[in-house]
Amino acid sequence: MKQSLHRVAVVLTLLVALSGVWLTWLAGDTASRYRDDPRNLRTQTGDFAPGAGRVLTADGVVVADDADGDRTYPEGVAYAHLVGYATPDERSGLEASRYGAMRIRTTESITEWLLRLGSDQGRQPRDVVLTVVDPLQQAARDAIAGQTGAVVVIEVATGAVLAYASSPSYDPNRVVAGTLDPEDIPDAMLDRVARRVLPPGSTFKVIVSAAALGVGATQDSSFPDAEEYLAPGAGSAIRNAADGFCGDGETVTLIEALQVSCNTVFARLAVELGGGVVGDAAHRAWFGRSLPWETGAVPSTISDPALLRDDPGALAQTGIGERDVRATPLLMALIASAVGNQGVAMQPFVVAAIAEQSGDVVERTSPKVLGRMFDGAVAAELLTMMEAVVSDGTGTAARVEGLTVAGKTGTAEGSGGPHAWFIAVAGRPEPEIAIAVVVEGGSSGGRVAAPIAARVLEAWRDLDE
Amino acid sequence: MTRRTEALLVALSAAIAAAGTALVTATAGGDVVLDPLAAAGAHLAAFGGMLVALRRWSPDASRLLLPLVSLITAIGAIEVFRIDPDLGRLQRWWLLLGAGIGIITLRVLHNRGVTVLRRYRYLFLLGAFGLLLLPLLPSSLPLGGATVNGSRLWVRLTMGDRTLSFQPGEGAKVLIVVFLASYLADRRRALAVMPRSIGPVHLPEPRQVLPVLLAFTAAFLVLIYQRDLGASMLLFMVFVVMLFVATERPTYLIAGAALIAGGGLAAVNSFSHVAVRVEAWLHPFADYAGGGYQVAQSVFALSEAGLVGAGLGSGSPWLIPAAATDYIFVAIVEETGLAGGLALLAAFGLLITVGFGIALRATDAFRSLLAAGLTIVLAVQTLLIVGGVLRMLPLTGITLPFVSYGGSSLLSNMILIALLARVSHEEPA
Repeated sequence: MKQSLHRVAVVLTLLVALSGVWLTWLAGDTASRYRDDPRNLRTQTGDFAPGAGRVLTADGVVVADDADGDRTYPEGVAYAHLVGYATPDERSGLEASRYGAMRIRTTESITEWLLRLGSDQGRQPRDVVLTVVDPLQQAARDAIAGQTGAVVVIEVATGAVLAYASSPSYDPNRVVAGTLDPEDIPDAMLDRVARRVLPPGSTFKVIVSAAALGVGATQDSSFPDAEEYLAPGAGSAIRNAADGFCGDGETVTLIEALQVSCNTVFARLAVELGGGVVGDAAHRAWFGRSLPWETGAVPSTISDPALLRDDPGALAQTGIGERDVRATPLLMALIASAVGNQGVAMQPFVVAAIAEQSGDVVERTSPKVLGRMFDGAVAAELLTMMEAVVSDGTGTAARVEGLTVAGKTGTAEGSGGPHAWFIAVAGRPEPEIAIAVVVEGGSSGGRVAAPIAARVLEAWRDLDE
Repeated sequence: MTRRTEALLVALSAAIAAAGTALVTATAGGDVVLDPLAAAGAHLAAFGGMLVALRRWSPDASRLLLPLVSLITAIGAIEVFRIDPDLGRLQRWWLLLGAGIGIITLRVLHNRGVTVLRRYRYLFLLGAFGLLLLPLLPSSLPLGGATVNGSRLWVRLTMGDRTLSFQPGEGAKVLIVVFLASYLADRRRALAVMPRSIGPVHLPEPRQVLPVLLAFTAAFLVLIYQRDLGASMLLFMVFVVMLFVATERPTYLIAGAALIAGGGLAAVNSFSHVAVRVEAWLHPFADYAGGGYQVAQSVFALSEAGLVGAGLGSGSPWLIPAAATDYIFVAIVEETGLAGGLALLAAFGLLITVGFGIALRATDAFRSLLAAGLTIVLAVQTLLIVGGVLRMLPLTGITLPFVSYGGSSLLSNMILIALLARVSHEEPA
């Protein structure tokens, strides 16, 4: 018995020692991988040495800098909602989420301490390098300036955000100087790309189309053409935007219905598909789900499944992106990007890398899949249908020479509305970037939002020249 | 070690408890004078009382035990108070109560020694079963079960408008060790005979193993039913290791490992809360806002540790759910760093070594198995929770002995130490 007891004693004591070894490794590993994670609330507290790194765009334009301990923002209003500001009392945007990454802690992590034993060089604060491209950001900012709304551009294959503009904006330099109190300007502070939901209107017809294509319809499936559609048990009928028929007065195909944004067809389609199918399609497209985003995004929403199942009137209104449907421009851009990426949406990100001031990259963000929004075949048909919208439908104002643009307009009723929407994917000719534009109170998506998208797409096309 | 050194070390740990408590009052709140005094007072009263009881009733007991336990308890008391001052104050009362019960244990065993426990072994087994079944009583009774975090492992005693909760699994562990030590001391030769074999695997006579196996399966089922993964694992592993120690047959270890592997797989497939834990263990950031949240927060806390930590009171350990119970070790590491974490592990390592030393020097099989079993409980429990929070193993919720907040845990561990001390007193001179 003494022999086995001895063995057990040795093994258990060794296991305790092993826990110590493991702890030593883990402290180093977690310190190097998670200490500056934006989700780690400790990144925003703690003791930091004076001085902070810069925020640079992908093309090297400095958008946040450090001068004598105060932050300065050379590009002013153009990057306000993305970069935010940092004062001794308050932080927002990237200045909050990457606060620790751009500073040197006075309490060192174990790996930093070990690494420094070799060379005792003075450490420099690190820079944050964005995926945003400055000429495109300026173009987006100029295109939306003077109006209330948002523009966001996303690279289809990676989810990298190339432009991110919200209007009205504010000058973060004045917040740092203390001449502007953020609490006095809630409207300008609001990030309309990720934190403002509006009814998406007819842009939501992309989701209803996907639901129909998913259960066997094709772009050539035909539907009765009607001036109005009254859902079973509904109080009021749904009419077309232009008060009339969508086609010849007899039948319209699905592709024609999307081209002219035919309300009666999509309202009827939603009711015939049923609340379950429409709700599932919306759920796949990330409605009702939290969207991971650097500076925080509010979730886009839709009525709860029970209401969609039991109330055909509500379902009909849902089919045209009204009722309880609410979406952020960020999500609508992701939906467009999924159409252009065989149905797969990539997780949006804006920090390309953390780098030393010498330019050496310390940590690079690798693209991640957010989820599959559409099946591959469905996405391909949606792309064809959306190309028809721009080539010969409500979205002709978004045509850009040299690019193939596939888009969808939206004109959404709502308080302060109607709101003008336009979402699209574009490329030469394969889809490369996705865009969402919203103009609050801008009325027609085709006449107001689509031309804004065209200006930004042109700027993108001209980037390489 | 002289008696004076022992007393000095206990006094030193009380001073540590007071100094640490004073240090964290700045951030945790609490009274900068009263709370440290109360911490020192409770510590001195509890361990001083134990010390006096040992002098009187077990004068030849090992002098290494009490200083180690006292130090470990002091570290726990500081961190629990730091995370939640109210829990910290409550823990002081539990400490006093635990020491009181430890002293009573020493007094009871004073006349006839630990061997008197053998006479009541089936009573202890029955008692352990009773305790394990208590949480299944309807919640409506004055003494009834309660479900916390999906596990029905608590008993709530309702007295008027006050309720007192405790985890009977903690008490059952000591009773079961006493029973097993006594039972195995008698039967170990019979259990070691392996007349049957399947291929290279030798098996014992079924009628020898059956009773204890049955008893154990029943206890185990009750625990599974209550979804108390931590206590199930602890009891099962202690059972298997004690069987191996008593019989010197590796067959029991192999069979035990196979059962744990099989049972673990079955649990992952049949209990959603187990599957969630395994997923959180492997990929905490996959479901950051959901099942992975707690583990992710502990990863962030560890990332802050560094060599000497954020400093007592300067970290943010409250961000981890269950920081004062399951995750107390991570909280300590965050604030005192690698240095503090390794020191605490070293203290546990020493305590375990002392315990096994007592078992090895014991005069007969029962005493040896009793000391071994109690030490195995301490060791396995420490390894399960430290390994769990450090992600060496899937997390099974259980307390870190003497450190986590928890009345039932502190009480049963003080009895455990009293028993170990008594066995060491009965060593040949």
